[in-house]
Amino acid sequence: MGAYSAFGLLREAIRGPRAWQPLWERRAPEAAYDVVIVGGGGHGLATAYHLARHFGLRRVAVLERTLIGYGNVGRNTTIVRSNYLLPENQHFYEDALRRWRSLGRELNYNIMFSPRGVLDLATSDDQLAACARRGNAMRLAGIDAELLDRAAVGRFARALDCGAVRQFPIHGGLLQRRGGTVRHDAVAWGYARAAARLGVHIIEQCEVLGVVRVAGRIAGVETSRGTIAAERVGIAVAGGTAELARRLGIALPLETHLLQAGVTEPVKPMLDRVLIYMFPHGGEVYVSQSDRGGLVFGGMLDGYPSMTQRGEITRVRDVAAALTSLLPQVKQLRLLRHWAGMNDMTMDGSPIIDRIGGDELYLNGGWCYGGFKATPASGYAFAELIARGRASELIRAFRLSRFASGHLLDESGAGPFPSRQ
Amino acid sequence: MLISCPFCGEREVAEFEFRCTLEERGATAAERLYFRLADPRRSLEHWQHVRGCRMWLELHRDLRTGRVLRTASVPVPPADGTGS
Repeated sequence: MGAYSAFGLLREAIRGPRAWQPLWERRAPEAAYDVVIVGGGGHGLATAYHLARHFGLRRVAVLERTLIGYGNVGRNTTIVRSNYLLPENQHFYEDALRRWRSLGRELNYNIMFSPRGVLDLATSDDQLAACARRGNAMRLAGIDAELLDRAAVGRFARALDCGAVRQFPIHGGLLQRRGGTVRHDAVAWGYARAAARLGVHIIEQCEVLGVVRVAGRIAGVETSRGTIAAERVGIAVAGGTAELARRLGIALPLETHLLQAGVTEPVKPMLDRVLIYMFPHGGEVYVSQSDRGGLVFGGMLDGYPSMTQRGEITRVRDVAAALTSLLPQVKQLRLLRHWAGMNDMTMDGSPIIDRIGGDELYLNGGWCYGGFKATPASGYAFAELIARGRASELIRAFRLSRFASGHLLDESGAGPFPSRQ
Repeated sequence: MLISCPFCGEREVAEFEFRCTLEERGATAAERLYFRLADPRRSLEHWQHVRGCRMWLELHRDLRTGRVLRTASVPVPPADGTGS
């Protein structure tokens, strides 16, 4: 598998499409590895890549229950940003945003990073004040933030008619210019290819059923394709964390909730920004236009726990109503697809990255609905935790013991109610 | 999803609002507050029939199928002020 280049593109164009090689080799698991990563999503693949690339671990396997790109890494709305209020979140997501900038070059794979600007719209003076507070906190942390009035919103987002009559009029907004979108599938494929080139084994259709313990210590994993020995086991299974933790006998402060997203039929370029529109009584829509032309959008959680991956039609209707209120010109577009993803919703809305019980068992989960934008930072930090057995400063606040000690990271101030985070 | 209200009969989930899951175990305050679900496949929950009789309900649900296993009315609304 060679590196991609302009010359290679020309060469393969002449040789024909059959010349292209698969991005990673399909293989059966070997008997033993140094590290087994459970979950072949964005975080798991990024972790395996960094373990091999930066921490010198070469006998690494990623075990995926279904197929690469089939879980939440292919189900999100592709938005990346670091516009958080709390310092711990600011530093972490800013680390991720910096990594997104150079990730395409690092992986030798076009992830289609598009820093088109993420604009949070305010629909009341209260909300604008909250935007100003968050923007000030961001600037104190050295992160770019601009508070826009209504006229400036209109100049920045040309697709938006700010003066239009709508139930919740636009008062202004908070802009992060460096935020934007990344092609989500390309992130999974890019990390998988880069990891495979470093010798990581990517094993699909291999479900982890439990861990193997010898004399009370982690010795491997029990899978649908047999027992695999491993010195260290890292878990990064996104919406499946609650169920896997139950099998392993670990109590976690999280619930599984559904989040839906949708995409319209493709149209010519009409929206060149990421817009987030929130209004009272739980209404929300966030939308951007993909390179193919479809408007990709999502809203709030379905509102109650579920592990079904089947969303409620009422939520689709709510989100579509919010979208057509924001951009009335899309009313005539048809919905091409909509889908639901399972989200690990923690009791404070922040993730958990930690070593479990002093054992060689490591957990990366509880991403709520913010996991995609965190992928590169999470992958590096989790790899570092697994390789060194100690958490770096960047993720110390995400430890599991915070729920017992009371050091919660409740970004929205919603209290221990995962459905409202 | 359909929810069977003890007062109104079987109704669409859109008529109801979910409040929170309820603790089923726990020795410490942290366990009761944050580690509420003993089994992530089933949950005990508070709901309110907000677009109906407005009564408070306790639901047992199977989270893998999304089905309601058992519904019971709760005489007094939860007192912590977090209800909608």
